[in-house]
Amino acid sequence: MTSQGTYSITRRSALAGLAAGSAALAMPALVRAQGESIRIGFPTPLTGPFAAEAKDQVKSAELAVKLVNDKGGIAGRKVELLVRDDKLNAGEAATRTLELIEKDKVHAVVGALSSAVQLAVNEVTRARGVIYVSISQSDTINEVKDFSRFTFHEALNPHMTTAAVAKHTFKPGSKIAYLVADYAYGHEMLRGFKRAQAAIGATSVGEILHPFGAADYSTFMPQLRAMRPDILCICNFGRDQANAIKQAVDFGMNRQSKIVVPVLLHNQRLAVGPEAFEGVVGGANYYWGLEDTIPSAKAFNDAFKAANGGAYPTDYGAYGFTGVSSLLLAMAAAGGPDTDKVVAALEKLQYDVAKGPQHYRACDHQSVQSVLVLESKKKAEMKNEADLFKILAIEPAAESILRTCSELGFPA
Amino acid sequence: MTASTSSIASVMAGPAGHRGWRARLAAWRVPLSILALCLLPWLLPSNALAVNVLVYGLLAVGYNLLFGYTGLLSFGHAAFFGAGAYVTGIAIGRFGVPWFAALLLGVAAGAALAFVIGLLSIRTRGIYFSMVTLALSQLVYYTALQASSWTGGENGLRGFTVAKLDILGWSIDFLDPIKKYYVLMVFAAAALWLVSRILNSPFGAVIEAIRENETRARACGYDVERTKLIAFTLSGLICALAGTLFALHLAIVPLDILHYQTSGMIVMMTLLGGAGSFFGPFVGALAFLLMEDVVSLWTSHWQIVVGTVFILFVLFLPKGIWGTLIAWRADR
Repeated sequence: MTSQGTYSITRRSALAGLAAGSAALAMPALVRAQGESIRIGFPTPLTGPFAAEAKDQVKSAELAVKLVNDKGGIAGRKVELLVRDDKLNAGEAATRTLELIEKDKVHAVVGALSSAVQLAVNEVTRARGVIYVSISQSDTINEVKDFSRFTFHEALNPHMTTAAVAKHTFKPGSKIAYLVADYAYGHEMLRGFKRAQAAIGATSVGEILHPFGAADYSTFMPQLRAMRPDILCICNFGRDQANAIKQAVDFGMNRQSKIVVPVLLHNQRLAVGPEAFEGVVGGANYYWGLEDTIPSAKAFNDAFKAANGGAYPTDYGAYGFTGVSSLLLAMAAAGGPDTDKVVAALEKLQYDVAKGPQHYRACDHQSVQSVLVLESKKKAEMKNEADLFKILAIEPAAESILRTCSELGFPA
Repeated sequence: MTASTSSIASVMAGPAGHRGWRARLAAWRVPLSILALCLLPWLLPSNALAVNVLVYGLLAVGYNLLFGYTGLLSFGHAAFFGAGAYVTGIAIGRFGVPWFAALLLGVAAGAALAFVIGLLSIRTRGIYFSMVTLALSQLVYYTALQASSWTGGENGLRGFTVAKLDILGWSIDFLDPIKKYYVLMVFAAAALWLVSRILNSPFGAVIEAIRENETRARACGYDVERTKLIAFTLSGLICALAGTLFALHLAIVPLDILHYQTSGMIVMMTLLGGAGSFFGPFVGALAFLLMEDVVSLWTSHWQIVVGTVFILFVLFLPKGIWGTLIAWRADR
């Protein structure tokens, strides 16, 4: 009986071994088949609280790849986008990036949608000399400590966003109250606003920190009211932004003061509706309404609508397009995916793919680009469902709204 | 002795012949486990996944020492995992400590933290024990969040990539995934041997006695509190080792590692594989991570699939994958 048992185990393990062996043999064939294409890894949080933004990013990134492939690819090679769910978790993102580099042998990585996650991806790509185009806001990634020769930051950063928004909303003598999410994003935005406020000559009448993911803001509102601010500045992201604005309006804060946010989110405004957001002012990297003045925006909108059943591209979605497009333009200029040549090409690149001229600054590889200042429209003023915002101002692409290279710690 | 080897399954062991088969398997469990670990990177879709299975498997093995063998349901083991990872990362990144010393520091720090948390929590029982460990580990989480100049706060700890390992004059390229796996595996293997040794010792018999009947163990003259505290500390030590390996592997320490969801995941992996079996936790970690990895490639609704599988397991295989296999073999 015992020996029978032993036999059956041997047979089983032999079968398992066979299966594993044939799988292992099949692997090189798969790798060979991919050998011809240029592969770009795209980790993004398809699940979790930022899933809506992430899905827009994927659609836009796929569009950028499709447009290039329709024209015959790069140096005759097709481009392939490998989308991976990073679950908004830095450890998961690092693992996925390792997989993309080690197993899928990607030539570059684009993506991530959170400060912590992009820094994790950056750490992995930096150690292995792989190009990474980051498409999520962060000030930290610009600083010399996290700098990588292979990393390019396509998204705006909190410093430039707040500088532009403050320039068009703060006045000398304005009294400003801040409601800030108590984590990296909120802190970086607050730091940016206070810097701009000092330069403009406005004053702060108080700051209140709220926990990340808070649902109830009613306890903060009476305190904020008592500060009698001209401007209520709400520094948070995603659902927090929608909840905080809704409750501020319920407390009549919008009659007493102007509500200003660092980034006015397309998806959050859609989710909440025009009434609560009416008159709220905030920054953005992209709004489809740019098409009236900028031809590349018109081209991007049309291509996006054609590929996605008439849907309009969103702010965070556009990062996927501009990030992947700039990388592909550089690869085309470099004649292929060779890392050193592509890095050199990215450093030299002047591109206009959706929002007017952009280029990467030499010292920190931050994309120098325009910042839009938007105001949420009244329901009566909306021409269609996607006509959400009025463009108050376009802060032109200039290094002057970035922190200087020496301030970031780079040698002069 | 077979009684100390494993699991509830041993209670329902079949005729003597099977007992012999089980005893032989038990005697060879460490070499067999190591053999399985050696094969792992060649069987899984990617090496990064293999290292994760190694790390989380070891983490679950450490947890199992407390949960499966001592019978204490802790919801705070993320704290020791995280402590090991953070201390190793800080030692390398900030103080330039050589990797091996940093690893020892991480393990020591995790064990020390486990000793303190154990001291505060083992006097409570059942749900209260779970709640106290959960609360204390949340304390560790918020400490790491606030001490951002040391831990990087929200952004996580970075800047301690180990690219080359120098071992006795040899230089190993630590960015090479296969070499990295086998280096880390040496530590996991040593830890497995240690756990096996502990379980086979008289101490191992005592912790199982406490799990089966605490009052009786006390009546037999065992110092239950002291034994629990030692088991808690050893369990924390193994988990801290898993944490240091995690830090060396990914070269980042995300804040999420300390979150209570990590603690929950450890419990799930252990249950999935089979609590109270020696190799079960590894099987659980493997099944959990493989499922997540593969299903999330197919669909962004992977959580539904993974959730359904969990429910099915809880309903039909309450002993977990490995526990059920062992019991099934014993029944035949």
